[in-house]
Amino acid sequence: MTTATTATLANKEHRYIGKPVKRHDGFEKVTGQAQYAGDIKLSGMLYAKMKTSPHAHARILSIDASRARALPGVRSVITGEHGTAKVGIYMQDKSVIATDYVRYAGEVVAAVAADTLRIAEQAIELIEVEYEPLPALLDVCEAAAEGAPLIHPDLGSYAHSEGVFFPEPGTNIANHTRIRRGNMEAGFAEADIILENTFSQKQVFHVPLETHVTIVQWALDDQIKIWCSGQSPFSVRDLFAIGFEIDRNKIEVNIPFVGGGFGGKAGIHLEPLVGLLSRAAGGRPVKLVPTREEECATLPCRQGQFARIKTGCKKDGTIVAEAVEILWDAGAYADYGVNIGRASSTSACGPYYIPNVCIDAKTVYTNKLFGTAYRGFGHPECFFAIERQRDLMARELGMDPTDFRLKNMLYPGLTTVTGELVTENTGRPDKCLKSAARMIDLHTPYTEAEKAEMRLSGKYRAKAACVLQKAPAMPTWSASSALVQMNEDGSVRISVSGVDYGQGTYTVLQQIVAERLNLPIEKVNINRSVNTTLSPYDWQTVASRMTVICGMAVADAADDLKRQTLEIAAIALRASVHEIALGEGYVYVMQNPHLRVGFDKLAIGYVYENGNAIGGPLIGRGRAIAQGLSNLDPETGQGKAAIDWTYGAHAVELEVDTNTGDIEVLQFANCLDVGQVMNEQLLRGQTVGGILQGIGCALSEAVNYNDQGKMITNNFTDYKIPTFKDMPGEIKLDVVQTPQLDGPYGARGAGEHPLISVTAVIANALANATGAQFHDLPLSATRVHAKLEELREGQVNEIAEGMENFEPTACTA
Amino acid sequence: MPGFLQPTTLEEAFALLDGKGETRFLAGGTDLLVLLRLGAISCDNVMDVKRIPELSTLRLTDETLEIGAAWTCNQILAAPEVGSEYAPLRQASAALANSLLRNRATLVGNICNASPGGDMLPACLVLEGSVVAASSRGERTIALKDFFTGVKKNVLKPDEIVLRTVFPRTQGRGTYLKKKRIHGHDLAQVSVAGFYADDGHLRLALGAVAITPLLLDFGVIPAAELPARRTEIIEAVAAAAKPITDVRASREYRLAMGRLFTERIIDGLIDGSLGLAEDRPCTTPAREAVTA
Repeated sequence: MTTATTATLANKEHRYIGKPVKRHDGFEKVTGQAQYAGDIKLSGMLYAKMKTSPHAHARILSIDASRARALPGVRSVITGEHGTAKVGIYMQDKSVIATDYVRYAGEVVAAVAADTLRIAEQAIELIEVEYEPLPALLDVCEAAAEGAPLIHPDLGSYAHSEGVFFPEPGTNIANHTRIRRGNMEAGFAEADIILENTFSQKQVFHVPLETHVTIVQWALDDQIKIWCSGQSPFSVRDLFAIGFEIDRNKIEVNIPFVGGGFGGKAGIHLEPLVGLLSRAAGGRPVKLVPTREEECATLPCRQGQFARIKTGCKKDGTIVAEAVEILWDAGAYADYGVNIGRASSTSACGPYYIPNVCIDAKTVYTNKLFGTAYRGFGHPECFFAIERQRDLMARELGMDPTDFRLKNMLYPGLTTVTGELVTENTGRPDKCLKSAARMIDLHTPYTEAEKAEMRLSGKYRAKAACVLQKAPAMPTWSASSALVQMNEDGSVRISVSGVDYGQGTYTVLQQIVAERLNLPIEKVNINRSVNTTLSPYDWQTVASRMTVICGMAVADAADDLKRQTLEIAAIALRASVHEIALGEGYVYVMQNPHLRVGFDKLAIGYVYENGNAIGGPLIGRGRAIAQGLSNLDPETGQGKAAIDWTYGAHAVELEVDTNTGDIEVLQFANCLDVGQVMNEQLLRGQTVGGILQGIGCALSEAVNYNDQGKMITNNFTDYKIPTFKDMPGEIKLDVVQTPQLDGPYGARGAGEHPLISVTAVIANALANATGAQFHDLPLSATRVHAKLEELREGQVNEIAEGMENFEPTACTA
Repeated sequence: MPGFLQPTTLEEAFALLDGKGETRFLAGGTDLLVLLRLGAISCDNVMDVKRIPELSTLRLTDETLEIGAAWTCNQILAAPEVGSEYAPLRQASAALANSLLRNRATLVGNICNASPGGDMLPACLVLEGSVVAASSRGERTIALKDFFTGVKKNVLKPDEIVLRTVFPRTQGRGTYLKKKRIHGHDLAQVSVAGFYADDGHLRLALGAVAITPLLLDFGVIPAAELPARRTEIIEAVAAAAKPITDVRASREYRLAMGRLFTERIIDGLIDGSLGLAEDRPCTTPAREAVTA
């Protein structure tokens, strides 16, 4: 990080917290030694292949798999008549395999397990499926409209979390979340200016390097072993058990190294399908490695969004009322998707205080690939809409957008839209915004010479700044547990079931334990893989919740180990616990430090000279659960929605080549209020990665379909993610450290946040540079160029004026 | 699954081609393997031609520059024989995909793949490239302007192996401009190559604006006449382009960028800025190569 705050990060009180400890798994990953699910080969293993629907919406009339079954080397074939179980997390609307209908092109209609992948591929070609194509609903607004054909006529019968989600049977709305505060009529009556806009965003892909690789062995006695590239070992076990009505203790889920997830590997995915193949093959292990094209077209993506925002403001810039209606384009299934609409609603107006608020978030079925969790969990989409709306309103008001934001910001003493009191410990979006603005000199106008150069070259520069926020989205009972066990030599090993799929969680957990036990970090190891039989429970690795909740569980376990160590050491040292203390790898008598006993003498039991032994292996156990969360009121959305809010801000300077429509990000500044920085390097890695992923969403990423609903961007040829060459010219990072008092050492989550609002800040800067107001994404050169052509034809001087009209006032707050 | 053939002599290759069904040639394989894996094409055999010595030569004679069919884009960039007078070829080599793929991708492979957006094709067209194809019946030389017949279609017979690409020795100024969606590797949304020989012969070629790459041969235009004929040249290029709208770009955008790049090339020739610093080091292309 490049700013003055750096000095404060290296907190002198701490030995490891905040320090740039190297990733625990860096060596294995860089050298290629790390073993991923794709590397696993089991004795007798079969290889699976899926047959998928070419239709976006169709009735399955018949499936003839007899020729596939007859092919030598084929060990099992499954079709819808076998896989009728519905397995899911929040809204059980998805069968393991399509039964009567297919609802998106790419949906699995049959699967084969065979001795070799080649045979499985051949067998797939021999399966004949007869469809009756049905009209495909591809537009979320049409799908939400009254009288739209129903994609899930049985919606009313689907099991779901009661009191949390509110499906509307007889429509395509899988969930309708409402937040209500104040009086909308009175609020808008107070307004001098009312501005209404719509915004829309297409689906995007997660693009993990490793696809959803899955191996399952469903043995004859129903003992089930799963190896998968996932984020959620215990959720896979739990949902598998519920879906197939099998005891939890018969299921073992293993997660080896994972090649990225970004939310797309949360919950359960191919495990039930591969499980059925294994069971049908007499219990032989079956491996399914989705190709990239299958990962794109069959495995879920991020949902699309359509948002309508109506904002009422007084002339002085006070926001008095805001109505937000969001249609989430769930695609064909909304199992995980319903929670995105629910959870992100609590942030739908951003970190602002608005007295009168009405938020309606509807999760709507369409005949497209289904959506799931994606880094930021709906917030990147909501913040594109809301932070665009803020700039558009500031423009109407003739007010500096930063001043406008700061005037309405959520300060301590105010309440969130769900009625949560903001305290001094909650975090400070205002400080983040000011820092981000400062880092790029947001309010320094361009010189006349610079403006002349812009007009000459047609390359217009401009700046913008935005805020962001997110809290972990999870059930109120979301919990973690941890074990810290002492090895014979006095080193320790941590066991957790959180998954480190690249974000660096395990390194942070090591730091917490090393700090707690005053041990060198080299003496603290952590599991590389997770096994639900051996590892302690954890809900899921999602929601930027690992550092906070799993971190507290690990700290609790380290404290427990410390207590046990002192207890046995006190006996060995013939002292009371209050008379002794932890040294580095030993316990000593405080008054007489030469009287000491090493951890190695205590780890598995203390042995006296005559051979008598006491104690036994030292095992610390710890746990943590989300504190104080409540289900939100079904009518008003009021309640406790968040255990911690991480606020932040971005600022950007970009250059728009009006000849080509290309956008060049010259500099990008980010400031997050992360509480205590746990590991500066890892934070920087997460932040830079999130920004670049956001730039992809802003400039080039979008899932596209033809008019029949067939995906036309199912590969890297035409789904373009940014590369290292697409990095901003310069990235500047800062932090605000308002301690989160119930987080480990004052930390809060930061994994998802850097991605939020990146699209908004870029679209706002584009508008400042050229006058081109985009309400949708991506801002590809083709689209920017077309919009600029429209402006050139219609409003000849708008391009130059767009930039020149932007005369920012000094930042007053 | 196609069979895999790996001859070490031309004679062996011809013998293997005789009556063995459809054979596809593998040079770099960066297109072929993707298409085979997708099931977009099928064939009875894949023949790796890289072990045939005749395909692995690069020669600069008094009359020609000859680049063997096994030469990769990165090898071309590293070859001192491919001098600054072949700037369009060098720039296209550097603009194709990314460095990892350029370690495999070959000039001849790109030509034979005959994609309308293939990066090497406009560059080769403006440099008057031709290919030498051989079969058991003998060798023939095919000018690239007569080579491309449609999307991924060319005039080669099924049993013909391309041995090398041949360019006449030349002197002049030229460039290759490519528009793509990200700074990283991407196919061309549209591309324009230009070469202005010292004798005044002007050639422009466009990629991704029609079913084949388009060559526009303007004949000899003395330098003094370029400013007066600027509009005519640009309009001729614009009139020749017949792009479509697809997932990579709209028709309008392709037309606009084709025109813009043509303008830049002509203006660069007029004001002398084009061709002054073409002797680039053989490294990853500079960032400006994206839209320059």
